[in-house]
Amino acid sequence: MATLISDSPRTRRVRGGSPRPTGMAPLERQYRRAFWPFAAPALIFYVVLFLVPIGFAVYTSFYKWDGMSPMHDRGFGNYRILWEDPAFRTSLGNTLKILIVGGALTFAIALGLTLVLREMNRRLFARSVLFFPCLVNSLVFGIAAGFLFSPDGPVNQVLKFLGWSTPPLWLSTENLFPMIVGTLVWTATGYYTAIIMAAVDQIPTYLYEAAELDGANAWQRFRHVTLPMAWDVISVCAVLWTVSSVKVFELILTYGGTNSSQPPVQTWNTAMYIYAEAFPQASAPQLGLATAAAIVSLLLVAVITVLLRRVMRRDRIEY
Amino acid sequence: MQTRRKRTGPATKVATWLIWLFVAADLVLILWVFISSLRSGTDVMNHPFGLPTHPKAGNYGQALNAGGFGRAALNSVFAAVASSALALVLAAPCAYALARRRSRTSSALTMTFAMGLGVPGQVLVVPLFVGLAKVDLTDSLWGLILVYVGLAMPFTVYLLTGFFAGVPQVLEEAAVLDGAGPLRTFVRVIVPVARGGLITAFLLQLISGWNETLFALVLLHSQNKVTLPVALVNFVAAEQLDGQNWGVLFAGVCIILAPMLALFSWLGTRIIQGMTVGIGK
Repeated sequence: MATLISDSPRTRRVRGGSPRPTGMAPLERQYRRAFWPFAAPALIFYVVLFLVPIGFAVYTSFYKWDGMSPMHDRGFGNYRILWEDPAFRTSLGNTLKILIVGGALTFAIALGLTLVLREMNRRLFARSVLFFPCLVNSLVFGIAAGFLFSPDGPVNQVLKFLGWSTPPLWLSTENLFPMIVGTLVWTATGYYTAIIMAAVDQIPTYLYEAAELDGANAWQRFRHVTLPMAWDVISVCAVLWTVSSVKVFELILTYGGTNSSQPPVQTWNTAMYIYAEAFPQASAPQLGLATAAAIVSLLLVAVITVLLRRVMRRDRIEY
Repeated sequence: MQTRRKRTGPATKVATWLIWLFVAADLVLILWVFISSLRSGTDVMNHPFGLPTHPKAGNYGQALNAGGFGRAALNSVFAAVASSALALVLAAPCAYALARRRSRTSSALTMTFAMGLGVPGQVLVVPLFVGLAKVDLTDSLWGLILVYVGLAMPFTVYLLTGFFAGVPQVLEEAAVLDGAGPLRTFVRVIVPVARGGLITAFLLQLISGWNETLFALVLLHSQNKVTLPVALVNFVAAEQLDGQNWGVLFAGVCIILAPMLALFSWLGTRIIQGMTVGIGK
């Protein structure tokens, strides 16, 4: 305890010279002493199981490798092959479609729901039910869709009952991808609505009351109160969507209860492409190509995240 | 409040109806899956909306045994619970240390963990597969658990750092003056106070572990080691040949759905809060 006083200036310097009462010193000292023992185990796991694999993925992406025979240096060859591979172009295009079209739809609906949900009765119940799908493995939706939209399935039976005799072939190859995006939007909307609503609930009610007294209608209240006040959270959501939309996998794998071992290429995204190249059923694995595709999707996320943060940055509103 | 809500325009009314329509669709879908899981395959095929004439709990028996969903469900429970517990034990002290100590190293580490939030899982799938094969941990639930723990680190550390930052320091000060060491202070003072945040972190990890499919599909092969999502994928693929047995398939779907439904109806607000406030703020 004698070192207590001589210790404090050093602690203070590390903390950026912020003036601290000397009573904090023992605590500060304890934080410092405990830092590495506390942080190291998680850090080791993170480095070994997360950061090193990313490094290894970057490294592998420059080689031709089937996982067993020796690796052959290919330089940027894998990236060139990807660029010329129609399957990868489709996959990348689909990833972007999910990200942009799916994202626009999801946020348009989520914000629309926010506009209405704020003012309606029994909204907590509605919110909970709409939220629930994001806790369910998307496999379930893929499987359910395979049955619901089958030619003699429930959806078509209802449509026939309503007098629509030639409903579209929902699960034909060219309709499959839009159906996947639709399902994704439906399941994701509740989640983003919940996040945005959590932010909206923080907005003080007097702002809405003031707007109402000024004669603002629901849309104007949304436009001039909700949107600016929740903007920070909406921009975080946009980043979140970017990351999660690139990860979509189960839904594509099982959508429509595919009638072969793998879904048709028209529905692939990059995640599906990586899976198909790295763990093929019939041919030799192409680990270099798969990791190159993975690095492309990582770069895609990084670039779009930076762009979004730049475009959506606003001055913070204090309230 | 009721009296103040009279100025609702027709547009708002339509929109409100639409919301209830979506809510109803979600509920009907769940109910329909459950009802179908009690009916025979051909019956479901011919009359999708019928009620079970002879409720066939047999579907569940068949799913649990023949479909291998019973074993797979146990594996899923084990993988999800063990990985969540391990992730929490590792991440909590780390997040606490990061939240309390404000040095350059600490903020750099916080950044490093946060960057992991932006990495899609498929980037790690090949390296982890190769790495685990090297140490003979593929087709092993423990290998899968290790992977889940690694994947959990960024989010769990991030969420808990925010949470610990909100715990007042006064409490620790008292403990330290009483002569408690760091570990003792953490276990006796911080953990009980931060219990809510820890439970939330555990729950969120449990949910994602229960639903995770890509790594389970890649890492596990043996019939007796697969988790529930893998068993479902395999079942769909196998049934393709001789027509789907929808009754059994939906029983499998219900087995994967039920714990989420139970958790959500029990701890719904806590789950929503964890998934929203942790990110929103």
